[in-house]
Amino acid sequence: MDVLDNYKKAWDNQPEETEKVSKIDIYKMAHSRSSSIVKWIFIIGVLEFILLASFSLLFDDTNVLKEYKKIGIPGFYKLINIFSFLIILYFLVKFYLNYKAISVVDSTKVLMQKILKTRKTVRNYVIVNLIFAAISIIILVSAEINFKIDTLTTTQMWVTIGASILVTGFFLGLMYGLYQLLYGILLRKLNRNYKELSKLAELN
Amino acid sequence: MQSEQEQKFLADFEQNQNIVHKVCRIYTTNQHAHNDLFQEITIQLWKNYSKFRGEAKFSTWMYRVALNTAISLYRKSTRRIKTQDIEDFAYKIKGEDYDDTQELQLKSLYAAIRKMGDIDKALIFLYLEDKPYKEIAVTLGISEVNARVKMNRAKDKLKKILNP
Repeated sequence: MDVLDNYKKAWDNQPEETEKVSKIDIYKMAHSRSSSIVKWIFIIGVLEFILLASFSLLFDDTNVLKEYKKIGIPGFYKLINIFSFLIILYFLVKFYLNYKAISVVDSTKVLMQKILKTRKTVRNYVIVNLIFAAISIIILVSAEINFKIDTLTTTQMWVTIGASILVTGFFLGLMYGLYQLLYGILLRKLNRNYKELSKLAELN
Repeated sequence: MQSEQEQKFLADFEQNQNIVHKVCRIYTTNQHAHNDLFQEITIQLWKNYSKFRGEAKFSTWMYRVALNTAISLYRKSTRRIKTQDIEDFAYKIKGEDYDDTQELQLKSLYAAIRKMGDIDKALIFLYLEDKPYKEIAVTLGISEVNARVKMNRAKDKLKKILNP
């Protein structure tokens, strides 16, 4: 006889929960607010969109525009704005659709896949934004150098380039690190369980 | 005013609530977390009740939603749990005609399951509840062969925890 059989019998014979939940309490609970991980991903995702979008909206850009004009690329500024808007629109729609597709009625594996996909949309949005910021800075610095090319010595030029790369790299790295940390903590359990289920699929 | 659908849900839920209690017992270690998870499962069940069209049994559907909530949606409270909590928690399911040996066995069974990973917990739970492999595979989203392989491993792990 299997060791587990006795335990299984004990399980089968276990009495019902003594503290039964009444219909009224079930009703109250059903209408209370969810605090699920999916809700958190949604809230944090929306906050990220708002935060990144508001940067460009709240930012006083008269000086930037002046600078662009001075170095001869005024059209670039408009292009950046249109592009940013399109990016945010695309990711917002994608994020919302992914979020809506999450259903607790799916199988465990599909449910986890969908949750992770929703998070990945936000992550990609952040990455695109970081790349975008880096490109803008590079273009701005090159235009600036190009504009002053006659007055700059070679050393000064390289120092400017080096310093801007360092500063940009540092801030982008910092933002990305913080971002990974936030989702790493939030999704540690989910990632672990997903890996376990996926590992299983590779067995055969 | 409750709709007809809502009344049906409440009746079905009340009747089958023991399933949810069992899931809460294996995925949490104190009463506070138990109630918390119970509430989240209730929310998810009600939120998705409109999608339940009776093609499966209410209880089958309940297993899936309850396990999915416990495994993927519920955020464990990081609060440190005192041993006292676990003791108090184990057990209020004391039945009057439940014999002592079985009660002890049940206690150690719950304690052992709690030491396992989330996926293993689900596998063992479905085994204890006599679910066929086909249903286990569909619930978890893996193939039936995988479910069998994984189940055997989970059972071995459980045996080792029970009889080290």
